[in-house]
Amino acid sequence: MRKLTREYTSTHGFYSEYNWGQRFGSTVIPLEIWDCPGNITVETLGTPLSHFRTIIFVIDIRDLYNQAIAKLVDFVIAAYHVNPNIHFEVFVHKVERLQEDDKVENFRQINERVLDRLIEYSPEYEQLPLVFQMTSVFDHSLHQAFSRVLLKLIGSLPYLEDLLNVFCANSQSPKAYLFDIRSRLYVATDASPVDTMTHDLCCDYLQMLNSFGSLYRSASGSGVRHIAPSASESSEGPEVSDRQAARRRRKELFFPSAAALLHSTHPGTALTYHLITEHLALLALMPTPVFESKRGLIEYNVVFFREGVQEIYEVEQQVRSGG
Amino acid sequence: MKKKVLLMGASGSGKTSMRSLIFSNNPASMTARLGATIDVEQNHVRFLGDLILNLWDCGGQDAFMDGYLTTQRSTIFQHVGVMIYVFDVETTEMNKDLEYYRDCLDGLRSHSKDAGVFLLVHKMDLVKNPADVFAKKRKDLVTATGDTPATVFGTSIYDESLYKAWSSIVHTLIPNAAVLTKHLRTFAQICSAAEVVLFERTTFLVIATSHQEGDTSNDMMPTRYERTSELIKAFKHSCTRVREEFHTLELELPDFTAVLDEMTRNTYVLVVAHNPHVETAAIKINVRMARKRFEELQGDTL
Repeated sequence: MRKLTREYTSTHGFYSEYNWGQRFGSTVIPLEIWDCPGNITVETLGTPLSHFRTIIFVIDIRDLYNQAIAKLVDFVIAAYHVNPNIHFEVFVHKVERLQEDDKVENFRQINERVLDRLIEYSPEYEQLPLVFQMTSVFDHSLHQAFSRVLLKLIGSLPYLEDLLNVFCANSQSPKAYLFDIRSRLYVATDASPVDTMTHDLCCDYLQMLNSFGSLYRSASGSGVRHIAPSASESSEGPEVSDRQAARRRRKELFFPSAAALLHSTHPGTALTYHLITEHLALLALMPTPVFESKRGLIEYNVVFFREGVQEIYEVEQQVRSGG
Repeated sequence: MKKKVLLMGASGSGKTSMRSLIFSNNPASMTARLGATIDVEQNHVRFLGDLILNLWDCGGQDAFMDGYLTTQRSTIFQHVGVMIYVFDVETTEMNKDLEYYRDCLDGLRSHSKDAGVFLLVHKMDLVKNPADVFAKKRKDLVTATGDTPATVFGTSIYDESLYKAWSSIVHTLIPNAAVLTKHLRTFAQICSAAEVVLFERTTFLVIATSHQEGDTSNDMMPTRYERTSELIKAFKHSCTRVREEFHTLELELPDFTAVLDEMTRNTYVLVVAHNPHVETAAIKINVRMARKRFEELQGDTL
């Protein structure tokens, strides 16, 4: 799976192409990200567009000039020509630079101009599933936008979502996410609508936990617990019995967890964190009284959730390694 | 108990931003909106319940400075517990700054000879070689201060250094810090904890810790206290942004177990254990049982 990102700004980008494949290689979704310089065109790309599953086009929200929009339209047409199933996402970026009314107006205009040009090219292009999102690095909108893009690329998404739905129903959780801890992008969430405020709170919570983890570590390493091994250890050798052995080993291992209790409204909300695989964590909200009185059951549910996700992960690993 | 804290320094050196970050729960990003302070802004900040920090944020513009040093001299410099003088690390008028500083020091010595002196070399985030630059500034400032003992810190609102400086400053204003430390050590032993830290509830400045000077048996990160202040403050702010109020935190991580909970009306306690058999629920029970004792301690001596 490959994803192409292309930035077009009025001052041309100066990054050269590079491969992010390694970094994302060992989570649930192995991604290869191509970050392209601003002056690139369909011809100068060097690789046919058919190699990519998703194209993200970043456009500055203040850039209403025709050049940027023309480039975007060129890419859209070229992409859908070679692969009608390609995902084309437009990030209307740097929205922090504008006031609220201007933001909405510019966003609408960019959207409209692109569609107008596409329809001019061919009336059937009106139905293209082009997605526009407003983004900024100064809040969590970029994380949410990237998460939404990622969700479309995850093959096992329906299974992960099912697991989350079952977990939420049985733990009285109104919302839960499966986050990639390093990027703080979520790879799955339950069926309830995604509320920006709780998403942002979870991102901040994860960031705080990531930083906190190293503060009180004893350099001499006393009391360090055994944590989950990397997946590569458990994906070699004969399949079935090895998976069972891996499962037995996992039962003895330690998985970090945390809970923040918040109390603005009377019952209060517990924001729980449980590490699921070495890269993924379950972040769930639940009413504080439920968390406090039914702690054992929640932990029990998490164990099953974890086993489900790890099994999905193991199968994916095997498929990828050609097993 | 009232303690007067003078916050002085040239215009634009960052005094009001500091105050906003530490005492008003505003994030660093919001300080850009603050304007120049006109004359003296007096704020009474309740700290630890019974300790009132009478913060005098003195506008740094020349006209005001001249006023403080002449007509208002005794009003400004009497009954001072601590003077905090802020220097902008990037200042182009170091000589003028030093001159005003020496004048203020003079005023302080005449009217409050026992006051503590703290010098903050601020906006260190703008500097390329912070260690070298700080060493040089420190040397200049210590020379300018002469006989009076003064502590110099390098600070920035964009990292934990500001929390470190202010925690140290406030620590000198707390009358029973030594007693608190002793009790925290006892509490740490009871909990089989590696460390116990007491924070003030609103500012999250460190009041006391169970850490013993020279104790290297735990060898944890030296900046952990101020980093904790910074991280928790930021998270508290994230919570209020979504209209939630942060209450407690418990962590079971690979390297330690920790509980951050309310201790008294005005303090939070962080208990950190390296022993993997210590359960968070057990720590919480101990905290609950220790509350009364710590409330008494606070009430007794403030």
